[in-house]
Amino acid sequence: MESREHRLISGRGQYADDLDFPGMAHLVFVGSPHAHARIVRLDVAEAEAVPGVIRVITGADVVEHTHPLPVQANFTSPGWTWRLAEVYAMPADKVRWHGEPVAAVVAEDERTARIAADKIQVEYDPLPVVAGAEDALKPNAPKLYDDWPDNKQVHLKFDFGDPDAAFKEADRVITVSNREGRVTGLPIEGRGCVGHYDRGKGTLTMWGAFQTPYLQRHNIAAAMGLPEARVSINAVDIGGAFGLKIHAWKENVVALASKLTGRYVKWFEPQRDFIVTGPHQRDVSWQGEVAVKNDGTLLGLRATVTHDLGVESTQKGIAALSIFPACSSPCNMYRWKGMHIEGIGAVTNKSFYCAYRGYGKDKGIKFIEAVINRVARELNMTPEAIRFKNFIQPDEFPFKAINNYVLDNGDYPGTLNRALEMVDVDKWRAEQEKGRAGGRHIGIGIVTSIEPAGVAVPNCQMGGLTQARVAICPDGTVEVDSDRTEIGQGSEISHVNIVSGILGCKKEDVYVRPVTSETIGQGPLSSRGAVWPASAVAKAAKQLRAKVDRFAASMFDATVDDIRIADGVIGCGKDTEKQLTFAEFANKAFFFPGPRRLPKEVLLEHEQLLSVTTTWYSPSTPESGSSYTTFCTSADIAVVEVDTETGVTKILKYAHVHDAGTVISKKVIDGQIHGGIVQGIGEALMEELKYDRNGQLLNTSFAEYLIPTAVEAPVIEIAHLVTPSPFSETGAKGMGEAPIIGSKAVILTAVEDALSPFGILVEDSPASPERVRAWVNGSKGDEQ
Amino acid sequence: MKITVHYTINSKACDLEVDAGETLLEALRNRLKLTSVHRSCEEGECGACTVLLNGEPVNSCLMLAAAADGADILTTEGLMRGDQRHPIMDAFVDLHGMQCGFCTPGLLMTGYSLVRKANGGDLDEATIRQSIEGNLCRCTGYMNIVKAIQEAKRRKDAGDWW
Repeated sequence: MESREHRLISGRGQYADDLDFPGMAHLVFVGSPHAHARIVRLDVAEAEAVPGVIRVITGADVVEHTHPLPVQANFTSPGWTWRLAEVYAMPADKVRWHGEPVAAVVAEDERTARIAADKIQVEYDPLPVVAGAEDALKPNAPKLYDDWPDNKQVHLKFDFGDPDAAFKEADRVITVSNREGRVTGLPIEGRGCVGHYDRGKGTLTMWGAFQTPYLQRHNIAAAMGLPEARVSINAVDIGGAFGLKIHAWKENVVALASKLTGRYVKWFEPQRDFIVTGPHQRDVSWQGEVAVKNDGTLLGLRATVTHDLGVESTQKGIAALSIFPACSSPCNMYRWKGMHIEGIGAVTNKSFYCAYRGYGKDKGIKFIEAVINRVARELNMTPEAIRFKNFIQPDEFPFKAINNYVLDNGDYPGTLNRALEMVDVDKWRAEQEKGRAGGRHIGIGIVTSIEPAGVAVPNCQMGGLTQARVAICPDGTVEVDSDRTEIGQGSEISHVNIVSGILGCKKEDVYVRPVTSETIGQGPLSSRGAVWPASAVAKAAKQLRAKVDRFAASMFDATVDDIRIADGVIGCGKDTEKQLTFAEFANKAFFFPGPRRLPKEVLLEHEQLLSVTTTWYSPSTPESGSSYTTFCTSADIAVVEVDTETGVTKILKYAHVHDAGTVISKKVIDGQIHGGIVQGIGEALMEELKYDRNGQLLNTSFAEYLIPTAVEAPVIEIAHLVTPSPFSETGAKGMGEAPIIGSKAVILTAVEDALSPFGILVEDSPASPERVRAWVNGSKGDEQ
Repeated sequence: MKITVHYTINSKACDLEVDAGETLLEALRNRLKLTSVHRSCEEGECGACTVLLNGEPVNSCLMLAAAADGADILTTEGLMRGDQRHPIMDAFVDLHGMQCGFCTPGLLMTGYSLVRKANGGDLDEATIRQSIEGNLCRCTGYMNIVKAIQEAKRRKDAGDWW
């Protein structure tokens, strides 16, 4: 059977922009030039007069014909703040960020829609702008949502372990702070879809770049006021997602446009819109203090992390939800006595916050790794020595951490040791010394991390839903359904490997079907693909294999223990006469030649003949409340050279050791590592969305929002350890976010190490050339 | 205003009526249904729409369809020989130089042009990285793309068809 790779490489992928239906109309959004303003007048007459324009949809239409966006996460706990604003897919009265859509033009072709979009006249009455979290939280700051007492959307408070005891025991307490810039994940393909409302049947069908069809169906149906059973959401080839395509937002306007016009309606987003109106992430600042002993023992942390969330998310509550892992993840992989962490989220006049690879785990781990390296420097220890002193040891698993995570297993010291074998840090330290004498600034960064993967939390749509179906068709081919959308991360290859390995069929006979809303599940997010959907698929395949064994035993008049299956052939013991290919076996099981010779009890209970539908739930979560199931381990060592004249950082060496448990596909894991590391490098050195005081986004294209090219990307050396997880069906651990977590932390700590002669603390990111120059220029001018 | 243009596309002659303001990207995608030519930034920054124009990689989003009149144009579809993949495509698949696949056709065109011109000479990693700088990829970190282009060069030098 033709593989996905063959289809895509030969140019026959079908992405959202390639969708084409008879009589399809095209939709283009019109965005606000103001960051905060009342809409006084919106005149569409001139636009609707353009030949080829079918209709203009305004915010007023959206408010009239749809419901407010549904709530996706809602946590209320005594002493906590958790507010949700009532928002529609487009506003009728007020805009709250630069670029917020106020109208959409539907036309016969996209060019006409764009021309007409320019003719929509909107009169705005500008309002005071809240340009950042600090401003937002000031008393008397202008409010984004009139019915809120202030701009604080979230305030969570956690006590892990015994923080007071930790600080009492401390030899020293070190004050720490850290900030990271606002970024966007920005896959190369923007968002897009086609919607078709069938007026006769009252059904809505959508195709497009949907990362989580099952959840998106629920949320689109709710906003559209349609029975969920009459809505179908279908993922097509997706040009990257990284969390940015879990939305049900502009998609509602596309659905409404189809409902109001009766046409297939297509929307495909230009990159500029994706940046300006896309989900943003990071933009946090940390303030805190860490308690340690003079021998390097880590004891406790008190810290507050403040998030600039932008406006209320189009995924209501899901943006705020990322504050949980940000608060929990600083425990990382070390023994701690106690922590008190507060997470604050402020709304501002910026584009909204949503998921992006890391989803808060990256923030907490990046912060604590920077803190630990600073502690090491203050105590005159190496970064590796302080880690070896504090690692949870291989014989302590499963380990219930103070933050409630149940760490499955791993070899934390072994992971770092392997990385130290790959990079001769002593040699590089000597090189560093030598270089400094000659004005070269080499820095060595060492970071270790776990990645909490596969989220399952209460009070939200991320409760741990997954479903899989594995079936043998009458011709012997195998079909697989799961909620694990293929977003480029290797769902298909992984599922093929799992299913063919368990069933014994040929890989080329397995077809992983495109994901639709017919399969229950959260989709691939929180690195759950290898944990939840892969476990469900493996479980279904095992149950199916048991059926095949039982059927074959009956057909061969043997026992199940005699059945051997390999490479698409089902055999019986050593009897070479008794052999069936999958095609022969399946045909016999379903049709003929008869008699089918299935066991009588199977005929009596004939349901789901050679098809198994099942689900899976994390074994560690119900017992412990651990919101993540597996914890892969990695160690990153980077050597950089910072040019203090130009501010440019060059990566001289990059090594990454990974333990993701059982390896389902090495090339998929390595690909995730390469891509994640380079995205992290982008965050560490280049990427930052810059808003001015008026809430205008200043860098709105690839020319201004810089992501790494092949020239900036380093050569990455990888080594694997394999510690199978006891908590997943295959032993695999989720790992998609680990590389971005480790890489941005390691690059920044390496830059700090390089700049240590200047006494510079890298407390802000990205460490862009401008910022590095400013640090160097501000550091008394000379090396200390 | 409509303008009639003549192209040789993927070795086939074609006459086409285009709008004066229409980009080559729009003509290739919308009129000729060559959907391997992907639309992303439409500003010449990402390289997803790269095609070969008289053998040179260009961003088809920046070029007017009318300005390409008379040109020999090659897209990813044209690299195939029937159902047979071009060796550079095999190299991308074998070395996992593709994840989501969206930037891939553009990178194939740039890589193909680079290897074709390298003609037996050396093609070092730095040259490859500089040559594909205009093709942004967010999934792969470029590692396996660089390896795939190197492998394609090896296969070409070893006598594989090109």
